[in-house]
Amino acid sequence: MPQASHSKHALAALAVAILCIVFSAIGLPVTALSTRALPAQSAEDRMVTDNPPGRRGGEIAVALRSDPKTLNPALAEDATSRDIIYCMNADLIHINRKTQETESALAKSWSVSHDGKTYTLQLRRGLRFSDGKPFNADDVIFTFEVYLDDTIHSPERDLLIVGGKPISVQKIDDYTVQFRLAQPYAAAERLFDGMPILPKHLLEDAYKSGTFSKAWSISMPPRQFAGLGPFRLKEYVPGQRIVLERNPYYWKVDGKGNPLPYLNEIVFLFVPSEDAQVIRFQAGDTDILSSFSAQNFALLQEAQAAKGYHLYDLGPGLEYNFLFFNMNDLASKNLGQIARKQVWFQDVRFRQAVSAAIDRDGIVRLVYDGRATPLWSQVTPGNKRWVDSALPHPPRSLAGARGLLKSAGFSWKGDGTLIDARGNPVEFSILTSSSNAERTKMATIIQNDLSQLGMNVHVVSLDFGAMVDRLLNSFDYEAAVMGIASGDTDPTSEMNVWLSSGGTHLWHLNESKPATPWEGEMDRLMNEQLITLNHVRRKRLYDQVQQIVEQNLPVICLASPDILAGAKDRVGNFDPAILDPYALWNVEELYVH
Amino acid sequence: MKRQRKLWVAVILLAGFHGLVLFAGVFAPYSFSAQDRELPFAPPTRIHFFDAQGRFHARPFVYGLKDNPKIFGAYETDSAAIYPVHFFVQGARYKIAGLFPSHLHLFGVGAPGRIFAMGSDAYGRDQFTRFLYGGQISLAAGWIAATLSVLLGIVIGSLAGFYGGWIDDVLMRGGELFLALPWLYLLFAVRAALPLQIAQWEVFLLLVAVIGLIGWARPARLIRGAVLSAKERNFVTAARALGASDIYLLRRHVLPQTYGIMLTQMTLLIPQYILAEVTLTFLGLGVGEPMPSWGSLLASLQQYYVLSSYWWMFLPALLLIPVFLAYYIAANALQERLKSVPL
Amino acid sequence: MRYLTKRLLHAAWLLIAISFFSFALLQWAPGNFFDAMRMNPRVSAQTIAGLRAEHGMNRSFPVRYARWAGSMLRGNMGVSLSYNSPVAPLLWTRARNTLLLTSTSTLLAWLLAIPLGIWSAANKGKWGDRACVFATSTLLTIPDLLLFLVLLLLAARTGWFPTGGMVSTDFGDFGFWSKGKDIAVHLALPCVGLAVVTLPVLVRHIRSAMIEALESPFIRAARGHGIPRWRLLLRYALPAASNPLISLLGFSIATMLSASVIVEVIMSWPGLGPLMVQAILSRDVYVVVGVVTLSSVFLVAGNLFADVLLFVSDPRIRVE
Repeated sequence: MPQASHSKHALAALAVAILCIVFSAIGLPVTALSTRALPAQSAEDRMVTDNPPGRRGGEIAVALRSDPKTLNPALAEDATSRDIIYCMNADLIHINRKTQETESALAKSWSVSHDGKTYTLQLRRGLRFSDGKPFNADDVIFTFEVYLDDTIHSPERDLLIVGGKPISVQKIDDYTVQFRLAQPYAAAERLFDGMPILPKHLLEDAYKSGTFSKAWSISMPPRQFAGLGPFRLKEYVPGQRIVLERNPYYWKVDGKGNPLPYLNEIVFLFVPSEDAQVIRFQAGDTDILSSFSAQNFALLQEAQAAKGYHLYDLGPGLEYNFLFFNMNDLASKNLGQIARKQVWFQDVRFRQAVSAAIDRDGIVRLVYDGRATPLWSQVTPGNKRWVDSALPHPPRSLAGARGLLKSAGFSWKGDGTLIDARGNPVEFSILTSSSNAERTKMATIIQNDLSQLGMNVHVVSLDFGAMVDRLLNSFDYEAAVMGIASGDTDPTSEMNVWLSSGGTHLWHLNESKPATPWEGEMDRLMNEQLITLNHVRRKRLYDQVQQIVEQNLPVICLASPDILAGAKDRVGNFDPAILDPYALWNVEELYVH
Repeated sequence: MKRQRKLWVAVILLAGFHGLVLFAGVFAPYSFSAQDRELPFAPPTRIHFFDAQGRFHARPFVYGLKDNPKIFGAYETDSAAIYPVHFFVQGARYKIAGLFPSHLHLFGVGAPGRIFAMGSDAYGRDQFTRFLYGGQISLAAGWIAATLSVLLGIVIGSLAGFYGGWIDDVLMRGGELFLALPWLYLLFAVRAALPLQIAQWEVFLLLVAVIGLIGWARPARLIRGAVLSAKERNFVTAARALGASDIYLLRRHVLPQTYGIMLTQMTLLIPQYILAEVTLTFLGLGVGEPMPSWGSLLASLQQYYVLSSYWWMFLPALLLIPVFLAYYIAANALQERLKSVPL
Repeated sequence: MRYLTKRLLHAAWLLIAISFFSFALLQWAPGNFFDAMRMNPRVSAQTIAGLRAEHGMNRSFPVRYARWAGSMLRGNMGVSLSYNSPVAPLLWTRARNTLLLTSTSTLLAWLLAIPLGIWSAANKGKWGDRACVFATSTLLTIPDLLLFLVLLLLAARTGWFPTGGMVSTDFGDFGFWSKGKDIAVHLALPCVGLAVVTLPVLVRHIRSAMIEALESPFIRAARGHGIPRWRLLLRYALPAASNPLISLLGFSIATMLSASVIVEVIMSWPGLGPLMVQAILSRDVYVVVGVVTLSSVFLVAGNLFADVLLFVSDPRIRVE
């Protein structure tokens, strides 16, 4: 929590308290304050930001890949919907995308009980939704009731289950809420980020009548939406654009006391392909460009000064790409050929040989034009707080790979083909998604590298849905190249990947108990870091997880692409970060010169 | 006659081109999967006879490439590195027509020099080599699919035309259904449902078969039309009166009337199906890496930065045009010939 | 009249068959809409199972088809899994945009093809005709995708045309005429591109039909009578050549909703194309089936239109 604003908030709270006493003494109920058009500053706990002050007015245009699927925060799962919801809503505790730490948002302060299981949050007072109606603890209670309702099937619900039990929410008073967890949870504060607070007065009816899943779909008229974010919905034209306008009731002000946001409007255009987005950015149709490839970066770089925009390479983000082998239990499936090959895949020396043979520098250079970082474990250097910098980075070594294969019982025929101890030639396929050019390229490079070891590898490119079906349902694959882009730096966001029982424990799903001792060890470490509150101790535990991954290679990590962004010079306070949403995380602070 | 000459010119062109592709191993200096990771997207190599000092070399040579320090990703020639071009060199091994191993190449330069006749791709692979080998896949796809379509068209078209009535109705409506179906999804479904153990060439054949089997409707219609008119001819009626069976009539009298159409359809369909293969590979449904096909060569142009920065990646598309033109000229000439034969 | 009712019945049967087969194909293709969500480590399997049940995805095939058919009859055309709303409203706006594009490009193509085809046929063998044949053959061999990408590149480099979309960013503030002008400017490039792609086939067919008509005996007789050249072409030869042209027109109508998929995706034109591609990739079953069915309606209508027009205009067919 930033200490400076803390004291300012305390002061403001005190002022409000005094005012409340005075007014109640006069006989006016405190709640009447919010319905009267009093000067906002005196009755509101506004948050003061520390950004360079900007100019009020103007609008910017941003491109999105597709129409949003829904504007209902409880149901939105895809990136486009979440980007727009981010601009229209606010959460209780927010993760600052630059510092990667939590800061106060709608909750101006909070305290934790000694056992770490109870969080008491003090809400800011006198805030209003974008339609002018007041915000208080009832909205928070309602919000979490919706998120936790298992008939709504909100993806948020899974995040609110700690220690096997959903967290419980209680209203203490109109501006105080208490959350109880079943066990101490290290990343509890970070839970609240990305959980927008819903307006009870607009959504309660839909929820009570069971039509909540239809509420706030994109075809609703703008006045039926309300949020606590910097912008509110103005207009939506299907297939073309969505326009957001300034929320006049937004609760943040800059250092000079000017209310945020600076911008009058944001226009989101739907431009389905990355190349088309690049072209339109260059042509001047959009002001901000994010999520584009390194090759387009090179293309744009040449014309930077002339065309009046600036490009940013922020270094590695959180995405890690990896190669992994099918180590699922295939006993019940009719996949005899793959089961026979699993004898190779399950030998750690085989995996280590594969990892030693892969030309990660080649991948960085050819796939990402040099704008990426080679990886040997899942945490990227972009995650400064959690990366284990002591992890060894063995250089590429074909000789080393050959030695490992020999010690594992493999040998080579006269023509160079690799055969196993039983004389079978080593041959397998790598699955990739046809819509992801980068991973297909990586697979092609890996295939060429492994052919130098005498392995006959071919790349099978399927559309995403078919590939996921094989990875998760039928297990009909041998190896695959995938990537995971964590939403947050904290290891808890990856629990399902590293826990042996996790749903994205891709190389071996549906384990009733850990299949190998090191997976059992990872389970223990991950579960322990979940409840350890001391960061130094947590880091030590997670470092061990990274070391286990580097040694045992359940996934062979390849590279992490840099986060790239660009903006026209006219956009002020543009400060992209490596956490999503990269370009618009500080949308309320953006302005036009 | 003018028309005859045009036909023969087209045929010779096609034969030459197919020969080039069939013996790709000889004409291509490298193997199609050899990557040079230092030289991605290198422009086509220029052949020189005069070096930087102005001296004449009887044997043509190429310069080496090094990174251009001023422009990121571009190259500049290194005049100090001279690599003479040799002919009939020993190089990467390959198999002629998949059977006879050899390692003789028409031309090449010594390593680490590279001779990229059509530039290199994202992995530093020689585009000229990949164009020739890719032709094997794409042309084979066109031929096999076209043959399948025409064969199926003959069977269905002649049945429909000969027997008429409800058989004709059902078959032709079925044809309409085939034309209307979203065959793209069918291909996605087929491709995705295939087990992984199938070899790449089996996948390819299956996809080609599907394309061919879907496209029978148009040739069937045309053959049906020809059979309809042929079956009313006097000599057919006469043969029938003499007691000829249906099969005999079809085989000896009716079908020969359709040969012209069959041939024309083949020459029209082959380029269409080559384009279909190209489209499929665009969408990722074709043969996988590292096997090249014209579709995969052109697929990289889908990305804007390739389209706008690396002009040599267009060359396979440009080279396709004369090939298709030759097919169309042949088809036109055949059609004209058909018309001039009295019916 | 009997002919018309027969064809209408047959058309209805065809539509039902198409919708059934495309529904079946989608079910057979592996992978479903919610698999993408399963790759997100933060979403649990129970949530996904619950979502699947909510949308009825765990029922058997006949049940799902019956429910969809019922929804079709009610005018909803099923529910989009991505947008969580009925499919029909999604389709109408997109279809309107697509029709705007395809109708203008079809009009343009025909307006260019007819005079070109006639002129080429009239000057058969001369250099003009040969140039025309060469140009159309070349255009035929260029893959559509490439052509549109080059057009996009042209627009980006020169700045003469917008690089995508149907309207500008501040469209909402425009007056009526400015709105029309804005749409027209955005329409220009995709329309021209699509027309250029469809032109060659039209020109060739018109040309060969006209040549056949011109070489028939009655034209030679008319020429012998001294009828002037242009009247001969337009009043005598063209009507005689109209049989295949009507079929072609029917074909143009039939493909009105499906011909522009590639253009729309490349130039971000908000039509059915990008919607369908997105839906296929994310396995949004009912949207895909809805788009296919809608396209099939046009297909069938186009064929029907051509057949009926032929029946009315060509006595030879009526006699059969």
